Amino acid sequence: MRSRHSSETLDARILACGDDMLSVSLDDSRASQVLADRLRDSGDWLESVAGIDSVVVQFDSATIDFDAAKIRLGDELKQAPDVSDDESALAEVPICYGGEFGPDLGDICEQLDLTRDEFVALHVGRDYRIDMLGFTPGFAYIGGLDDALNVPRRKQPRVRVEAGSVGIADGRSGIYALTGPGGWPLIGRTPLKLFDASLADPFLLHAGMRVRFRPVGRDEFDAIVRS
Amino acid sequence: MTLTVIKPGLQTTIQAGPRVGMRHLGVPASGAADTLSLALANRLVGNTSLAPALEATTAGMSLRFDNPASFALTGAQASADLNGRNVTFHTTLAAGAGDELHIGPAKAGARVYVAVAGGFVVDEILGSASTYLPAALGGHKGRALREGDRIAVGKSSGTPAQHETPAEFRPPVSRTWALRACRASEFMLLDDSGQERVFDTNYTIGQRADRMGMQLEGASFKLSSDGRMASAPVFPGTIQCPEDGRLFILSADAQTTGGYPRVAQVARADRHMLGQLRPGDHVRLLWRDTRSATDDLRAMHEYWREWLPDIAQVV
Repeated sequence: MRSRHSSETLDARILACGDDMLSVSLDDSRASQVLADRLRDSGDWLESVAGIDSVVVQFDSATIDFDAAKIRLGDELKQAPDVSDDESALAEVPICYGGEFGPDLGDICEQLDLTRDEFVALHVGRDYRIDMLGFTPGFAYIGGLDDALNVPRRKQPRVRVEAGSVGIADGRSGIYALTGPGGWPLIGRTPLKLFDASLADPFLLHAGMRVRFRPVGRDEFDAIVRS
Repeated sequence: MTLTVIKPGLQTTIQAGPRVGMRHLGVPASGAADTLSLALANRLVGNTSLAPALEATTAGMSLRFDNPASFALTGAQASADLNGRNVTFHTTLAAGAGDELHIGPAKAGARVYVAVAGGFVVDEILGSASTYLPAALGGHKGRALREGDRIAVGKSSGTPAQHETPAEFRPPVSRTWALRACRASEFMLLDDSGQERVFDTNYTIGQRADRMGMQLEGASFKLSSDGRMASAPVFPGTIQCPEDGRLFILSADAQTTGGYPRVAQVARADRHMLGQLRPGDHVRLLWRDTRSATDDLRAMHEYWREWLPDIAQVV
């Protein structure tokens, strides 16, 4: 039973974000992801994008009045997002740590006073969830890093970071889907092909997906690349 | 059919329409920074409004037509010549095989669009032919054009009729701009004086100005919080207030999320103008509530429909 009162409470979380966008404040990234996916699937919005604790939708203001869009969004919010722990598949992301793939791993270990093996054990020691894709196409922000692995971004971003590179910064891991500039200290690389323009859904990783890292050596890395 | 780049200038890319519905994957809109000028150029050569064209930035460029072609120039205010003979903007022009087109530096505005009948033959990636430089996606090999690049031109359906853009449909280009804008979701984080001043300041576009965004100089703002917030979605036209208090307007290549308070949002009707702003330009933000901004947009569409029937897909 949803009372008039509760719908007004939800409406209070809707903020105007310009003449053709509305923002909804939410508790966390999981709720934001679930809501953004549902709003996107409804087909009512041009864009439905999750932030860490909010969702912004864009509508066609040439044909839809601002107030009508706000009412529609309020209606769609009446159904609370289902954030129950899902049994969605756990994606395994193999990572070859250090060496040419992780040029900052040595410095990071020194900074954190960890051996390389201790670092890897901490990094692969838990399951994660992808908070969001952003910054550049397909770049995956993965929160929940062990507190012992907290390092800042590089002061000087790199001009070129290879696709598949894995970095850590500010309590998160980040995976580069495409080659491009980047400022995250790099710890390794995954051999997975994270972007394939020929596919209808070109990105392998998605926001909300659960992931687990698995350390692999150079031989297995090369074998996966070839397969 | 090809054309060859002789001098690429500061930055010339192939741009078409934006990428839509992919921001949740981290894929920015990209596309022509000034979609209205893109559509006007395409209109003159019989292409669809958002067909791929060249977008040349401020410093001008030169190219050679390897085959006879119809073409048109729109956008920034600049001089241009074909084999040394002046040619005018907003007119359907004819080039013979081997003819060289030189576009001079822009006197006002930032980007010139060169449309060729038949458009450019470019693979679509993620729903658009547009170049997105930071990720080397789309356009010609994902990069800005270089000297010697040969770009394939598509087959046009016959010679396009001679057209001139009617005077009332030539967007004014100057060094002074008024952009209609609405409050955005963190407007209330500005202190009281800031809330008054955002829409009452003469800004100057800073030196840092590209397809991703531009600094607004001339005023500094204070936030009532420490300015830190969790990463949230941003869009072309979003005006952010970073910790240093200097506003930043995002443009066509705007990243999909950002961690700075969003204090205002350029209204949809005026976002195409962002593509013509350049360092040193004067800018004012005109406050509109969401309803009047929508009325303005629909009135604009109504006005433009006579010349660009699909204006609602362009702006």
